[in-house]
Amino acid sequence: MIGKRKRETNIVSRSTTAKGDEATTPATNDTSSSHDIFRKFFEAQFQPLEVTDAHTTHHQGSKDGHVADESDESESESDWTGISEDADGNNTVEVVEHRDSSAIAEEPMDKRVRKAFMTSKPPSFSVKLAPVKSSPTKDDDDGDDVANLKNDLALQRLLKESHLLESSSDLAPTGKNRLKALDLRMQSLGAKSSLYHQNMPSSHRRGIKAKAEKKDDKRRREARENGIILEKPTPKSKPSVGRRERGVGGPSIGKFAGGSLNLSKRDLSAIQGPGRSGKGKSKRRR
Amino acid sequence: MATSQPPLRFTGHKNFVYRLVFATLTGRTVHISQIRPSSPINPGLAPHEISFLRLLESVTNGSQLEISYTGTVLVYKPGLITGSSAGASSGGVIRHELPAGCNRGVSYYLLPLCLLAPFSKAPVKVLFTGPGVITSSTPTGDMSVDSVRTAILPLYNQFGIFNNIELRVLRRSNPGFNGRGGGGEVQLVFGHQVRLPKTLHLMNPGKIKKIRGVAYAVGVSASNNARMIDIARGILNPLVPDTYVFSDVSSAPLVPAPEKSNPSAKKKIGLGFGLSLVAESSTGCLFSADVASPPTGGQPPEDIGKQCAYQLLETISKGGCIAPAAATTMLGLMTMGTEDVGRLQVGRDVIADEGVIQLARDLAKFGAPGWGLREAAGENELGDVVISVVGRGIGNVGRKVA
Repeated sequence: MIGKRKRETNIVSRSTTAKGDEATTPATNDTSSSHDIFRKFFEAQFQPLEVTDAHTTHHQGSKDGHVADESDESESESDWTGISEDADGNNTVEVVEHRDSSAIAEEPMDKRVRKAFMTSKPPSFSVKLAPVKSSPTKDDDDGDDVANLKNDLALQRLLKESHLLESSSDLAPTGKNRLKALDLRMQSLGAKSSLYHQNMPSSHRRGIKAKAEKKDDKRRREARENGIILEKPTPKSKPSVGRRERGVGGPSIGKFAGGSLNLSKRDLSAIQGPGRSGKGKSKRRR
Repeated sequence: MATSQPPLRFTGHKNFVYRLVFATLTGRTVHISQIRPSSPINPGLAPHEISFLRLLESVTNGSQLEISYTGTVLVYKPGLITGSSAGASSGGVIRHELPAGCNRGVSYYLLPLCLLAPFSKAPVKVLFTGPGVITSSTPTGDMSVDSVRTAILPLYNQFGIFNNIELRVLRRSNPGFNGRGGGGEVQLVFGHQVRLPKTLHLMNPGKIKKIRGVAYAVGVSASNNARMIDIARGILNPLVPDTYVFSDVSSAPLVPAPEKSNPSAKKKIGLGFGLSLVAESSTGCLFSADVASPPTGGQPPEDIGKQCAYQLLETISKGGCIAPAAATTMLGLMTMGTEDVGRLQVGRDVIADEGVIQLARDLAKFGAPGWGLREAAGENELGDVVISVVGRGIGNVGRKVA
């Protein structure tokens, strides 16, 4: 921190004369009144006197000086008659202040500012330290729930379809992307197959697949040659080895083509069943 | 590379680091010759340059370096900027040790590394350590780490690079004896990688609204800080009331100094103090100033504080939206940005700087289109120049998912 806070030191030199003639203090009151009586008597006898109140001002001045200095020379009061001064009208008051500049009030804000600045992160100058806004509490839970559900749905959709979006800016896709998104949604709701899964001759489909593969291969090869790093190839999904769904009413075994049921060797072995190795046993089991 | 272009040829050791940085960013091989050929005692690459090459090698993958016997010729074939991979030791943090003879501040390494980091593949985490890390500003003209953090790193925000960037000063150090060596420790985490930095249009310098600063004292009395701050505030406070300078006091770093009798002896180095000031304008432009006590000592903190305050005022008086110290970073990022025209208003004195002109020439050599210069018009002119920079649109090769 910026040093220790030093004691504020103020030295104010003030003029020793009392301001104007705020005349009398109670200490000198009785003497002045007796003077007054004498003067009045004298003036009645002779001619008016010009007023000389030097003594009283000096006396007062010394007293004032004591108040200002707060020094410990009280016992010398009677002896000391104050500083002799000539001018009392145009006496300008000189004020000298000695103040420690580092002791300029440090606000409580200081700590917050320090925290914002002296972190390991680059200080975010643009961010204003705004007071925390209290959220409106009058909103019911119902309203919140509805909004949450809505946001949840939007988020789910965004996550699922984000690969379709060219720029992340538009959340409502249009055109081709909209149809694709619709297709995805229908599939997620339980549609059997994609709209884009057309029925076509298998040779046709194989051609399409081969072409796509070739294209991807070329892209990867070129990228490798140019030192560009591409995404990892997605693993090819193998057709599941589980039971294939068969049509109703068809033969349960073999392949029906050209008006005849063809049985492969595998089918035959399946019909015959296992355990033909041990002859005796197998016969008994038959 | 499938397309092998001939290496770009440069001569001299000036602008060494940025040539290598732009070589890495553009993927061009460079051939730098005549590196201090006529120096009788220290020809060739200096220790700090070698150290930078090592740093470059550790944040890239597949770089090839060839240095001639005398060290006056260097061929650098850049690889991919990989950053710090998770496989490396201690949580993917690259540990970079600077040699004891290094007389450049750590910002000499930080600024180019920060320029590389947004184009890296993985986050860049580098710990600078060793007996050569000087965190303060140096007589060789490097800024302090505090200025890097408070005046340079916030600039990346304007290019859309702001997440997870940290610069931790783990231990401070001023330059040691003869201006060589330190003993500090600094960690940079640059975790925001982008494909392309945003196009920048910075045309309004605004007015200075606040001044912040850090006063640091390493191994010396904290009263030095108070004295620097006192004088600096005395100059700056009448101009900008919102001025705060924070004080950071730390003990001197201990580095091992083995002797014959005592092999485990350590010594304190890097004593000193310094001040870093940053002014921010109403439009977010930053200006910084840095002064530290010289390694020879003999300068009172009052002088440092005064010099720093005046240096800040001088930097601001040059005008424009960027300080001379930030010009390379800003212009470099604009050049590596999207294929679009970015504009930047700078003061005449900033663009007339030797370093900026050298940068322009080097960039042109690397194949960047030339800058367009015109007089600033409108209400913010003040005799400034507007630089139009066309981005290369290549950006982050490591992030390229084509």
